[in-house]
Amino acid sequence: MVENINNLMMGLQVVFQPYNLMIIVIGLILGIIVGVLPGLGGANGVAILIPVVVTMPPTAGIILLSMIYWGALYGGSITSILFNIPGEPWAVAATFDGYPMAKQGRPGKALVLSFFSHGAGAIFGCIVLTFFSPVLAEFALKFGPAEVFAVMMLTFSAFVGLGGKSPLKTVVAILFGFILASVGMDIVSGQLRMTYGTVVLMGGFNFVVAVIGLFGLGEIFLTVEEGLKVEGISTRIGLKDIWEGLKDVIRYPRALITGTLVGVWMGFKPGGATPASFMAYGFTKQSSANAAEFGKGVSPGIIAPEAAAHGAGTSAMIPMITLGIPGSPTMAVIMGGLMIFGLQPGPMLFKENVDFVWGLIASTWMGNVLGFFVVLAFAPIFASVLKVRFAIFMPLIIYVCAIGAYAVNNRMIDVYYMLLFGVLGYLFKKLDYPIAPMVLALVLGDMSEQAMRQALIIGHGSPLVFFSLPLALPLMVAALIIFFWPVIGPLKAKIFGKKA
Amino acid sequence: MRKAEIWVSLAFVFLGIIVIADSIRLGFMWGMTGPESGFFPFYLGVGVVIASLVVFFNTFTRYKKEGAGKPLMPPGALKPILWVLIPSASMIVITELVGLHIAAALFLLFYMRVVGKIGWAMTLLVGIISPLSLYIIFDKLFLIPLPQGLWGGYLLRF
Repeated sequence: MVENINNLMMGLQVVFQPYNLMIIVIGLILGIIVGVLPGLGGANGVAILIPVVVTMPPTAGIILLSMIYWGALYGGSITSILFNIPGEPWAVAATFDGYPMAKQGRPGKALVLSFFSHGAGAIFGCIVLTFFSPVLAEFALKFGPAEVFAVMMLTFSAFVGLGGKSPLKTVVAILFGFILASVGMDIVSGQLRMTYGTVVLMGGFNFVVAVIGLFGLGEIFLTVEEGLKVEGISTRIGLKDIWEGLKDVIRYPRALITGTLVGVWMGFKPGGATPASFMAYGFTKQSSANAAEFGKGVSPGIIAPEAAAHGAGTSAMIPMITLGIPGSPTMAVIMGGLMIFGLQPGPMLFKENVDFVWGLIASTWMGNVLGFFVVLAFAPIFASVLKVRFAIFMPLIIYVCAIGAYAVNNRMIDVYYMLLFGVLGYLFKKLDYPIAPMVLALVLGDMSEQAMRQALIIGHGSPLVFFSLPLALPLMVAALIIFFWPVIGPLKAKIFGKKA
Repeated sequence: MRKAEIWVSLAFVFLGIIVIADSIRLGFMWGMTGPESGFFPFYLGVGVVIASLVVFFNTFTRYKKEGAGKPLMPPGALKPILWVLIPSASMIVITELVGLHIAAALFLLFYMRVVGKIGWAMTLLVGIISPLSLYIIFDKLFLIPLPQGLWGGYLLRF
């Protein structure tokens, strides 16, 4: 406990260096703009910046990337509330009650409520991050290849069993991601795989390019299809709004606590901010006395999903830095940034790069606290970004996406891939194939395969090695139960239903 | 919607078969040094084929019973999407010739003026200033070289 606080203080010293402070402010402002613009989200906003970040010192670079995420978390809600256009997928739930409240003439209060809830979710996420991740990292040091593979299985089972989408399609999406990851050079034997004699495929698929295509272009196609019409509510945030927002946050502690807990849990287990916000909204609505009022602009309907979204965002950092398993696509891209700097996320990071880890954790505190004030002070200005015609910023976004895709590896073919992934992302969204697990599979493909092969070598080819005691067995059993949950759940209901 | 669903699931089956074929070439059994190269992809391929076949049969039976269902795109949605897709694809092809920044300038001018019907003054302002500033930021300040294409190096000489 005391050690963690000391470490955090040390991290804060890193953060308070003028250069890093400047990076934090720039990152937050960029992040909020990224959050406001539809088509440019946290994941691809971070992805586009990766080539720029490489020119910086590692700590500053990763701080910049994570600031984009925190900024985007705050910023995504602004347009949800004012224009009924979610700037980010995790802000969709904020439109349910946020937009009606804004329409009733209380846009300022709706924004303040949203920001306070975001702040509260973030702070709780930071506390868990600070005190829980060192413990988890210590524990994860005992992991061998079999355990690593079991954790991977657990990660992907969570998407299949608890993701809420069609389990079969989720399986297809995950396997597709793994297949894309295996194209190119085999990391163990050096043989070329799945290249079919072509030179183009030898380099494989880079997941940063995939993220830019799937989340950037795919999202733009969807927006264009719906035809973006901006009917804005203009607003100012006055002291009265702040006061009333604060009062309401205190008046509905249950919504806040539900939201925060759901968020931190969902962020910790892979799933991310988007399902967290929907779940928190659903829970709060169910348990509320006046559920019928939800959707008409009630305060708890804003508080719960917003706290959940930001709680999930911050706690998604825990599995990323301790286990090397990102909890959300945006975290996956940030992890990609870490690897470019030669920092392998995982338990050893806490031993070998203490300065870096605690600098990052401290910057998470700093960024989320500072972000709250930035967004509160300048929300109306950021909202006015959307008053720019869509036909102006849309081609600009595509242009910037192309820059990002090219600069990852300086390969022209990646720009074509980006376009392909854009069309694929559109099709996936339309046909309800989930994108997030596919991206994670693409990121974790090499690591999973390596872990699996090493474990099998250790076990002399027997798959029983994945069920060895003490650590692999419970992880693997949990993974299997969660994986088959879509089958087990109804079965259980049937059996118990008959008894009753 | 269901038709598209059927085609996509069949495409995944096909993909799975290709992957399996290459895994068999690489060897998917236990080799001299443990699992061979094709070991992991082989099971991925098998998994994709099985899961996609189930998706295919599910959709196909529902298609037989309930018809095609909603169309994949709402009517009139294809046009705006193609208006984005074709110009951006052209931008990438033109990049091979004149480099990304000049191609993007052309793309911006075209899209804003022809598709977005935005006034000339605004179009020219954004279409010229943004590529110029991004060129300075990336190529000059951060020293990240972006594609120049065949002739881009001759066209942008500062």
